[in-house]
Amino acid sequence: MFVALLLLLASALPASGVAADQSCEQCLGGAPDAPIKIEVFSDFQCPACRELYMDTMKLVLRDYCSLDKVCVIYHEFPLQGHPYSREAARYSLAAQKLGRLQWTAVVDSLYANQAVWSDKGTVQAAVARALSPDDFQKVLKLIQDPSINGTIERDIALGQKRDVQSTPTFFITALGREQKVVGGLPYNVLKEFFDRIVK
Amino acid sequence: MAVALRILHWACRIVLGGIFLYSGYFKLQSPLQFAAAIAGYKLVPNSFIMPLADYLPWVEIALGALLLSGWKIRYVSIGASALLLAFIAILTVTYIRGIDADCGCFGFGDKISPRTIARDVLILLPAIFLAAEERLKNSATNYTNRTK
Repeated sequence: MFVALLLLLASALPASGVAADQSCEQCLGGAPDAPIKIEVFSDFQCPACRELYMDTMKLVLRDYCSLDKVCVIYHEFPLQGHPYSREAARYSLAAQKLGRLQWTAVVDSLYANQAVWSDKGTVQAAVARALSPDDFQKVLKLIQDPSINGTIERDIALGQKRDVQSTPTFFITALGREQKVVGGLPYNVLKEFFDRIVK
Repeated sequence: MAVALRILHWACRIVLGGIFLYSGYFKLQSPLQFAAAIAGYKLVPNSFIMPLADYLPWVEIALGALLLSGWKIRYVSIGASALLLAFIAILTVTYIRGIDADCGCFGFGDKISPRTIARDVLILLPAIFLAAEERLKNSATNYTNRTK
């Protein structure tokens, strides 16, 4: 019985789950080959996603991604009950095509002003506030690109494949092991976990 | 009477041991998810969250294995009861504080509610039985001797 128990426990320790696409076009921060990878499935209109981004991921981007210790990948997972989240996701992906700096600025603005645009649907105003007039004009053109909707659909399909049922859900891969986390996690807790792997 | 108690003893050990093993195994699969659940209680300082998430599943697995093995069953059952009482207290306090937190007990998305608290109380019963079994047996023997 104890041998069976040990085998069962051993099976709990290694990685489980589906490894995601390793390309890093959706890498919000850090190098793709960083020792720790976080893949977030997020909805711009979800308050818990806002909390995760503002209170945790922004600090991860600042303290770990800037040193290429952690790679943060954001996947769009707009939920059906949120009427403006797909539009926000489209703007975010259009900004992503301009570069990481513009993309981060748009993501920042969308989450920081979530309460305002979620209420009135003024997504475009939140995006305009984050970009230079030139970049904003480019985003307005890029958002017409049908491939953006394709990327959102691909992200949703990837999330469904990985059994994402609510947002935020994120997957942390480190030391060959993947852990799924549903909901938020305080930055200090995540920091303690990271510091064991990358000082 | 003795046979019934013996059957009850084994049933309690198997059920309780199985529950602890499953619970520990499940938490080991994602200590970070368990850490998120502990953080959700807003009761434990941040610096204790990761150590708790790392070690508590092993404590549960050890208790489960010991309950099944039968070694020092009274003391192990007292330990299991103490752990379950702590869980019940934490869940109750979190629920009373009106915090919408995940139980993190056997699966995620299982919000703390009177149902989750009642479930833990139900699990506590076999642990208390095993811890108090000797006393129950002695009382039963004394009662039988008196009535003879």
